[in-house]
Amino acid sequence: MVTAQTKPPPPSADVAQLPLRRFTVDEYYAMAEAGILKEGERVELIDGVVVEMAPIGNNHMGTTDLYTMSLVRGVGDRAIVRVQGSILLAERSMPEPDLVLLRARQDFYRYRAAVPDDVLLLIEVAESSVNYDRYQKLPRYAQAGIPEVWITVLPERIIEAHAEPVAGRYTRNRIYVPGDTISPGALPDIELVVGDILPE
Amino acid sequence: MTTQTKPPPQTSSALNLPVRRFTVAEYYAMAEAGILKEEERVELIDGVIVTMSPMGNPHRATVNRLSRMMFAAVGTRAIVQVQSSITLDDRTMPEPDLALLRERADFYETEDTYPDDVLLLIEVADSSVGYDRHEKLPRYARAGIPEVWITVLPERIIEAHAEPVAGRYTRNRIYVPGDTISPGALPDIELVVGDILPE
Repeated sequence: MVTAQTKPPPPSADVAQLPLRRFTVDEYYAMAEAGILKEGERVELIDGVVVEMAPIGNNHMGTTDLYTMSLVRGVGDRAIVRVQGSILLAERSMPEPDLVLLRARQDFYRYRAAVPDDVLLLIEVAESSVNYDRYQKLPRYAQAGIPEVWITVLPERIIEAHAEPVAGRYTRNRIYVPGDTISPGALPDIELVVGDILPE
Repeated sequence: MTTQTKPPPQTSSALNLPVRRFTVAEYYAMAEAGILKEEERVELIDGVIVTMSPMGNPHRATVNRLSRMMFAAVGTRAIVQVQSSITLDDRTMPEPDLALLRERADFYETEDTYPDDVLLLIEVADSSVGYDRHEKLPRYARAGIPEVWITVLPERIIEAHAEPVAGRYTRNRIYVPGDTISPGALPDIELVVGDILPE
C-alpha cells in the first residue's frame, strides 16, 4: 500500500510569491466605503496591491510642512498644493505622495480625481522609505508621465530630481545638495533653498 | 544642481511591496460589499488575497470523482465539504478542493470551520502543485490539520502528509495507481488510487 517516503516539504516562501488578487481603484474606494480600510490608515494602491506606507516621523512631517509653506507662498493661486493626498495614476494605482503641485482649477478637483496630466511636480519625502520611493514609485510615476518628481532623502540630505519621462523612464536625473537652490520646471521663478529644506 | 545620477532601475513588479494584509473579517466584508464576487476563485493566505488558478476539466473531474467516493464511503459519519473555505487562523482562509469535517448536526451553519473540525483535507493539483506543496501544505501543518492529500494529476500520484509536529508533517508518503489509500480518521474507508487517477 505504501510505496515511497517523500522528503518533507521545504519551508514556505514568503507570501509575496503568491499570485495576488489585484484591485481596481473603484474596488479600493469601495473598501474605504465599507470600512475595511479605515480613514486614518496609511495605505496606497500600487499596481492593484494595497500597500502599507511607513509611519511618518517628526523629521518627515516637519520637512513636509516646510515644503508646504514654501510652495504655497511661491505658487500663490497659480497652482494647487496638495499635501499627502492621492493621485489617480492608472486604473490600478493610486499612490499618496507627500506633496503634489497641481494645475490650478476653480473647483480644486472636488468632483474628480487628479490624474497625471494635472500634475506639475510631485514630491516624496523619504526617511526609511527611500528604496520604495526610488525603485517602486518612481518608475510608476515615469510610466504615468508625471513630468517631474523630487525625492527628498532625509538621511543623505539630498534631493533627487527626476524629469522628462520618456518611455517609462526619467531622462533628466539630478542631485541637489545643501547650498543649491531648486526650482520646479513648470514654475521656474520659484526658488527653494535646499539647505532650508534639509537643515543640519 | 551638482551631479548627474544614474537612472534608477525600473521595476514593474508590485510584489516587493509591503502589502496591507487583511483579516478574515475584512475578507468577509469584501465579499459582502461586492468587491470580491461570489464566483471569484480566491483564497486568503497570510492576510493576502490570492487568486487560484482556473480549474481545468481534469481537475474538476477529479474533484467530482473524489466527492462521489467520499460521500458514498463516509455516509453520516463525516461531512464532505467541496471547494469551500477553512479558517486556519485570523488571516488565513484557504479553499481546499475537499475537506472531511467532523460530523455536526448543524453542518457548521453558525460558525466557520476550523482546523480542529477537519479530519482530512484534499487538494487536487494540476498546474498548482508547487503552490499546494510549498505554500499551502506548510500552513496546513502549522494549523494542525491532521492529514492532507495532494493529488498530483500530471504525475498520477497522491502525496499523503500526516502527523503535523512543530509546523511540519512527519509522515509523508506517496501513493500510486495500484495502491489503496485510507483517511487516518476513518481507516475502514479504502479508496483505490487508480480509480481516483485513471489513465
